[in-house]
Amino acid sequence: MVGVFDNEFDLIKAFDQVKAKGLKIDEVYTPYPIHYILEGMGKKTHMTHAAFFFGVFGALSVLGFMFYASVISWPLVFGGKPFNAFPSFMVVTIVATILVVTIMTLFTFSIRAKIFPGKTAKIVRPEATDDKFVLVLKSDEPGFDKAEIEKLLKNNGASDVSF
Amino acid sequence: MYNSNVRDKLIQGNKSLKQISQEIIAPIHAKTPTWWYIALLISLSMFGWGLYCKYITISTGIGTWGVNNTVAWGWAIINFVWWIGIGHAGTAFSIFLLVLRQKWRTSINRAAEAMTVFAVGCAGLFPLLHMGRPWMFFFVFPYPNTRGPLWVNFNSPLFWDFVAISAYLLISASFWYFGMVPDFATIRDTTKSKIKKAVYAFFAFGWTGSSKEWLRFEALSFVLGGIAAVLVVSVHSIVSTDFAAGVIPGWHTTIFPPFFVVGAIFSGFAMVLTLITLMRKLYKMQDFITDSHVDAICRILIFVSLIMGTSYLTEAFIAWYSGNEYDMFKMFHNQMTGDYSFEYWAMIVFNALIPQLFWFKAVRRRLWVVFIISIIINVGMWYERFNIVVASLSKDYLPANWASYHPSIIEIGFFIGTLGMFSTGILLFFRYIPMMAVSEIKGVSKYDMSVEEQEELKM
Repeated sequence: MVGVFDNEFDLIKAFDQVKAKGLKIDEVYTPYPIHYILEGMGKKTHMTHAAFFFGVFGALSVLGFMFYASVISWPLVFGGKPFNAFPSFMVVTIVATILVVTIMTLFTFSIRAKIFPGKTAKIVRPEATDDKFVLVLKSDEPGFDKAEIEKLLKNNGASDVSF
Repeated sequence: MYNSNVRDKLIQGNKSLKQISQEIIAPIHAKTPTWWYIALLISLSMFGWGLYCKYITISTGIGTWGVNNTVAWGWAIINFVWWIGIGHAGTAFSIFLLVLRQKWRTSINRAAEAMTVFAVGCAGLFPLLHMGRPWMFFFVFPYPNTRGPLWVNFNSPLFWDFVAISAYLLISASFWYFGMVPDFATIRDTTKSKIKKAVYAFFAFGWTGSSKEWLRFEALSFVLGGIAAVLVVSVHSIVSTDFAAGVIPGWHTTIFPPFFVVGAIFSGFAMVLTLITLMRKLYKMQDFITDSHVDAICRILIFVSLIMGTSYLTEAFIAWYSGNEYDMFKMFHNQMTGDYSFEYWAMIVFNALIPQLFWFKAVRRRLWVVFIISIIINVGMWYERFNIVVASLSKDYLPANWASYHPSIIEIGFFIGTLGMFSTGILLFFRYIPMMAVSEIKGVSKYDMSVEEQEELKM
């Protein structure tokens, strides 16, 4: 069942009431992120934690590589500095770590959100990227009363309800 | 609840969500205006001249430039630093104002990021061709090679610079692109043309706007925003070490990193101002780029201009206070009164004095005055880089080594070429990409309602 709303406030009201009935909300499509809905869907993303580990991984591998190159592989004295010129390695470490985090987080996003080149979008309502807020419910759930839910959505300002 | 009296409504004209997407996307669907073709023709011919000059530089050599043994860095490095400075506004706008929760950034950040990507692309060409043998470019990569392996010097600011600039280009381009994905989906879902639908559907990467996607999208913006905030400060600090790590009078000072970063933000914001006044006039975007947006940027520019003025004074003071005769000679004889006095005073007037006109509301309200001052600032910033590079190099410790520097026609052409490349990019951006972040503007449009209006909708 698909309910289409004209603004986020109606959507949030209907969202709360459907949830209060104990029904599962399949998906919500909105033109911009609504944090109330994102939290209400009960999903969490661990991308921020992942990014932290990418950062640790990036920093260690960049620093490790510079240590390998300038101390183990081919030691050369530059300007009287020690082979392991740690302070001046920090500059490259910081910048290259940021690059590693960015690229790896982008790939994680691409994989987890399934957003990648060549993907065909499964569009429920094309207006959802324009000006409509779309609530999708599973009508084959046990205890799903079509007429009742349709009334609930309409009462909360749904401009269109369809199956 | 967000309620500010400092600024007018972010978006004028009580627009519905549909109107917001239609009006921003309108230039993509509308017939291409004649001025656009004329501007593109001019830009492409500048670009073409630049290509010819690059061809001459590569086929004949650096000898076609005006640089000499003493002034080994000429226009190439001046323009490199100038473009990188302009390229700073993208991250400054997207990240700093995001971190500071400035909601007015939403109608400007897309254009600022586009500008960043093109400007950094232009900047990268200069050091590349300054190498003399650009086909050996890959030597700067630290890759296992048959020469030992002889690695690059990780202590060298020039290598730091290479890492910083290439990382900056990649990061700002991906940040820019992923911000556009939801807007490409909006175009895909609203257009009637089949070709546009197919093209934008490809670039939208299958975006639907589901909560799963938004959740991760928000996390991605959070991570990239947070981590790229470092870049706002780091990139130009590293560029400044190219100079500050050298033992040339006028370069070897600790003020350089903050001085460069502030200068970069200054010229970047000025270029953003140039761009948005054009957008507002040419595409009639006055409902999105309101007087209050222009006003906000002008106020920032006053502040940054004061910092620039302070930096110039500090530079002069430290040159005197250090008691170092070479520093004093460079500052007081070579720059303030000598061969480069025009460039020096132009820098002071253009960067520290003229922007002070923004104190007056009458100036901030007149778009054409704002436009002219924004151009003046960028010219002034160009002079600043000229002073740093040429004034210091031309007369260093040994008078026997002194030399003057004049750019050759090839160097000038190279610079004009990058101007053409930049404006070609901006024109294509105007034509084929939503100029403002549509989904973000929709997100803040509800903040424009009064509290009563919101309560009414919540009932």
